[in-house]
Amino acid sequence: MSAILAQADYPALMSAPTLFHYLVVSAFMFGLGLVGFLTRRNLIIMFLCTELMFQAAGLALVAFSRFHLNHTGETFVIFVLTVAAAEAAMALALVVLLFRRKETLDAERWEEMRG
Amino acid sequence: MIQKIQSLWPEIVLFATACVVMVVGISPSVAVRRSCGVIAGLGLALAGLVAIDWPGPASSVVWPALAPYVKVLVAGVGVLLLLVLAGLPDREYEAAVAHGQRYDPIRANRAEFYAFFLFSIMGVMLVSGAEDLIWLFLALELTSLPTYIMVAISSSRNRSLEAGVKYFFLGALGAALFLYGFALLYGATGSTNLETIRQVIAQQRLGSEAVNGVALAGALLAVIGVGFKIAAVPMHFYTADVYQGAASPVTAFLAFVPKTAGFVALILLLTTIGWGYGPSGQSLPEPIRTVLWVIAAMTMTVGNVLAVVQSSVKRVLAYSSIAHSGYMLVGLVAGPGPAGAPFARNGIAAILFYLLCYGVMNLGAFAVMASLERRSRSGATEEADSIDDLRGLCTTRPMLGWIMVVSAVGLLGMPPLLGFFGKLPLFTSGIGAGEIPLVVVLGINSAIAAYYYLRLAALALLEDPDVTPVGGGLSENAPPGRKFAGFICAAAVIGLSALAWPLINLADGAAKYEPRLTPGSAVSAREAPIVPSADALTEPRAASGRP
Repeated sequence: MSAILAQADYPALMSAPTLFHYLVVSAFMFGLGLVGFLTRRNLIIMFLCTELMFQAAGLALVAFSRFHLNHTGETFVIFVLTVAAAEAAMALALVVLLFRRKETLDAERWEEMRG
Repeated sequence: MIQKIQSLWPEIVLFATACVVMVVGISPSVAVRRSCGVIAGLGLALAGLVAIDWPGPASSVVWPALAPYVKVLVAGVGVLLLLVLAGLPDREYEAAVAHGQRYDPIRANRAEFYAFFLFSIMGVMLVSGAEDLIWLFLALELTSLPTYIMVAISSSRNRSLEAGVKYFFLGALGAALFLYGFALLYGATGSTNLETIRQVIAQQRLGSEAVNGVALAGALLAVIGVGFKIAAVPMHFYTADVYQGAASPVTAFLAFVPKTAGFVALILLLTTIGWGYGPSGQSLPEPIRTVLWVIAAMTMTVGNVLAVVQSSVKRVLAYSSIAHSGYMLVGLVAGPGPAGAPFARNGIAAILFYLLCYGVMNLGAFAVMASLERRSRSGATEEADSIDDLRGLCTTRPMLGWIMVVSAVGLLGMPPLLGFFGKLPLFTSGIGAGEIPLVVVLGINSAIAAYYYLRLAALALLEDPDVTPVGGGLSENAPPGRKFAGFICAAAVIGLSALAWPLINLADGAAKYEPRLTPGSAVSAREAPIVPSADALTEPRAASGRP
C-alpha cells in the first residue's frame, strides 16, 4: 500500500515545500501558542506556549532567510534562541519559587491583588 | 564601525559598573557592601556625562540626535531613581545580619539588584541607538528581563513574587508578539537594518502606491507587542497588579524605564513605515493610523476611568501611568510633520519632552509613597498604600505632603507647572496633524484625570490628619535618599517649567526628522531584496525575480 502511494503523483502544491508552506506552519504554531496562553491556567503550560510562539517566529525567520538568500534571518534566530534560553531559566526559577510558597502552579490561585 | 563603538561609551561604562557592583555587593564587610549604591550612582552619572559628549551621528540614521537625548534622559532620571531605590534590597536580611546572623552571600540580593538596575538602563540606551531589528530585539529584552527579577525580589512578601510572575508571563507574550512582527518585517523587506527596511518600503510604494501587506502586518504586531512595555491597551492588564505588588521604589522604576524604551522603540519602528501617507502626506498608512488611534483613545480612557475608582495610591498611579502612555501615543499618531516643522507640530518631539516631564513628576509621587511606612497591628511594617494614608500629610509631614501636592498637580497638567508644558505640545501636534477627534478625547481625559489627581492633592493639603488610624500609625523609617529624591523632583516640577523652553529646544533637536530616499546608495538595484508578493509566496525565488 505504501509503495503504491509513494509512486503516485502528488498534487502540484505539495510537490516541493515553498515559503508559503513554512509560513502557514509558522502562523499555525504562533496561533496555537497564543490560544494556549490565553486559555490554559497552568504556569508551566503557559510558559511553553510563549516558547511555541518564539519558535514560530524563528521558523518564519529561517524560511524568509532562505527565501531572500541571505543569512540575516538565520543570524537573528541564533539570538532568539539565546534569549529564549535566558527566559526559560528565569521562568523556571520564578515557578520554583512560587511552588515553594504555595504548593500549586494554578494561575487562578495567585490572586492576592484585586481592584 | 569605530563611530558606532564610540557612540556606545555610555553603555560600556554602565556594563563595567554593573560588573563591579556584582562583585562588591557580595562582600562580607558591611561597609564595602553598602558602597554598592554609590558605585552604581557614580557609574550612571559618568555614563550620562559621556553621553552628552556625543561623537556625532552615523551617516545613515533618520533620527541623528535621538540617541544622545534619550541616553542623557535615562541617566539623569536614573540617578534620581537610584536615590529612591537605595536601601531597598536586603533591608530585612541586613537587619538580621546586624543582630548576629551569619552573612551568607547566596541569600543576599543586593548585588543582583543594583546590577540588574544598571543592565535595564543600559537596555534603554541600546534601544535608542538601535539600527537593526536584531539589535532592537536584544535591547528591548535587556531592558525587560532584569525588571522581572527586580519586581520579584523587591520585597519578601508573596505579593512581589506574584507580581514578578505576572509581569514575566505577560512580558514573554509581548516579546513573542513583537518578535513575530520583526520576522514579518524582515520577510517583507529582506533586511533587518532599519534604514534599509525604510528605503525598501518607500521604494515598493513608488511602484504600487500601497504599503506591502506583510510589512504592515509585521509593524502592527510589533506595535502591539511593544505596547506591553508602555502599558498600552491590549497589553495593559498587568499594570495595576504589578505596580501594586512591587515595592514602591521598583514601581517608580517600572513606570519610567520600560516605558521610555517602549516609546523609543515605537518611534524607530514606525519610522521604517514612515509618516508619508494620507491626504496631507504626513500621517501613517491608514491601517496603522487607525489601530494606533484606537489604542491611544482606549489607553487614556481605560487608564483614567479605572484610576477614579481605586482606593490604593499605587493603583491610582498605575492607572494614571496607563493614561499617560495614551497621551503620548497621540504624539505618535501625529508624527513629526513636514521637514523643518516647528516644535508645536512635531509629535515625536512632544513625546520626548513628555517622557522627561512624566519621569520627574511620577517619581516625585512614588518617592512620597516609598518614604511612608505603616506599622500594622501585628507589629510588622508594610508600605503605606491606602489613599487614607495621605490624609493631612501636609500638616503632619509638611515636606512629603507638599511633594505629593506638587507632583499630583503637575501630573494633572496645571498651567504653571511642568506637566502643562509637557502636555501642550501633544495637543498642538495633534491639532497640527488634523487629528481633531483624538485631541478632543485627550482633552476629555485630562478633565477626568483632574478628579483623582486633585483628590490626592486635596487629601494631603486640606483634610485633617487621621487621629485614630486603622492599625498603627505611619512611620518614616525609610532611607533619607527617598525624601531627597522626592524633593528634587518637586523642585524640578516647579523649576523646570521656567526652563521649559531650553528643554523643549533640546527635545526638538532630538526629534529632527531627516528621511531621505536615496535610490542607488543604500539599496542598489542589483542588491534590492526581492519582496514576497501574494503570488510569489507559493513559488521559489527563482521564478519570481523582479526585473
